[in-house]
Amino acid sequence: MLLQQLINGLTLGSVYALIALGYTMVYGIIELINFAHGEIYMLGAYMGIVTFGLLSTLHLISPDSVVALLLMMVVAMLFCGACGVTMERVAYRPLRGASRLSPLISALGVSIFLQNFVMLAQGPRDKGFPNLFAGGGIDLPGARISAIQIFIMATSVMMMIGLQLLVHRTKIGKAMRATAQDMQMACMVGINVDRVISVTFLVGSILAGVAGILVGMYYGLINFFIGYIAGIKAFTAAVLGGIGKIQGAMLGGLLLGLIESLGAGYISSEYKDVFAFAILIVVLIFRPSGLLGEDISKRV
Amino acid sequence: MLRLEEVHAHYGTIHALRGVNLEVKEGQIVCLIGANGAGKSSTLMAVSGLLRLSAGRIVFEGDDLIDIPSHSIVGRGISQVPEGRRIFSKLTVLENLEMGAYTRTDADRIRQDLDRVFGLFPILKERRIQTGGTLSGGEQQMLAIGRALMARPRLLLMDEPSLGLAPKFVETIFEVIREINAHGTTILLVEQNANMALSIATKGYVMESGQIVLEDDATSLMANKDVQKAYLGG
Repeated sequence: MLLQQLINGLTLGSVYALIALGYTMVYGIIELINFAHGEIYMLGAYMGIVTFGLLSTLHLISPDSVVALLLMMVVAMLFCGACGVTMERVAYRPLRGASRLSPLISALGVSIFLQNFVMLAQGPRDKGFPNLFAGGGIDLPGARISAIQIFIMATSVMMMIGLQLLVHRTKIGKAMRATAQDMQMACMVGINVDRVISVTFLVGSILAGVAGILVGMYYGLINFFIGYIAGIKAFTAAVLGGIGKIQGAMLGGLLLGLIESLGAGYISSEYKDVFAFAILIVVLIFRPSGLLGEDISKRV
Repeated sequence: MLRLEEVHAHYGTIHALRGVNLEVKEGQIVCLIGANGAGKSSTLMAVSGLLRLSAGRIVFEGDDLIDIPSHSIVGRGISQVPEGRRIFSKLTVLENLEMGAYTRTDADRIRQDLDRVFGLFPILKERRIQTGGTLSGGEQQMLAIGRALMARPRLLLMDEPSLGLAPKFVETIFEVIREINAHGTTILLVEQNANMALSIATKGYVMESGQIVLEDDATSLMANKDVQKAYLGG
């Protein structure tokens, strides 16, 4: 039972981590909580279904194949990346320099717009998501890792390693870290800050798009509202780890997934969502800078 | 090389620069002195394109800098060692220096310049994999200068490079400034330490409440009674 809950928790947690990274990277650079980020994840899931549907109707390749899965992910990544970049251009960039509340309100507006857009375009009801990993898995003593769980964890780990390499080994990644620390100085050494911000939204949105596909397959059902709850949980994960810290988002995501899953297993699954928000409140009261965050006073 | 003509600029409602006229000729060390809040740093920020002008012109090597986005200024050959150093404290020393060369693509010459910076400041080579935040104040100042040099500037703007440093470091820094200039880089230097600054400068400007109130050869400024009384502690 414990082992099973740990496996479930890590699966869920790695998805939270993927989404939380988008929150934390954007916050790290422009100090905006992008409340529309959960919607990007929701769009990723829908793009998966749309791509799957197209592949089935066109009979180009078997929709059950690995190629189909890869295509779904690539389409979702491209689409979500483009959405993220556009969102920043349209809704946040014109408000840079305005009071901090303005882009926050703008973010809520984008979130409501995207939810309603998808509700009208795709219908308000749950849609079934194809599970390309039906059956399969590994049996352990007292627990079972399904194939989809392995796939989710492996994909998440790969994405996170990729992100670490991007941020620490590439020129644009170093520019992102420099910009997050001192935007004016970054500008003075010749970094095009607007471009760095676009890339940040691009990368965060790609990760969220992948998360959308993964969760879609895991639960098998999606609707236009899934971005809301996942968004708030990922936000909690980002705050738990220390918002603005990339490793913090990863740690926070995994911890949140584990806590939720253990709580659901040992206390009550009805209260699953309550644990996440209880954590959010406790962290905000006792350690607002998060587990890996430095004291706010030190930053100033 | 660099000319400011009737430059006005505001921070919100504060009129920080009120018609600044200033010229830096190629090869010179020009020094800008004045009290706190006189507009010295604002003048440098205006040249770097980070303080928008409300009126006037800044001309560098014949081109107007006003229409150029601020991140492209460094590509024109102007880099800055800003007040308070502003190194990227969570990046390593080496990464800080790499950021200095951000707009350049000539990998071979970047490596040469890196060797030159390590030659000027051997301690930076020793600490290249440490993060910038772990350096002492003097070392951070060296890193800030090194970072600015990595852009291979023709004009180097320096804002209070000696501020808060131990006397031993102050001398080193001024020696380095002279050496950089001897290698052909023109320097516009803002300093509180007017004595030291004027002693290495060709020309000096005195600034008061957003305006240039006096300009002269550095040696004449040092001999000027009013300047001595106000800025040289004598």
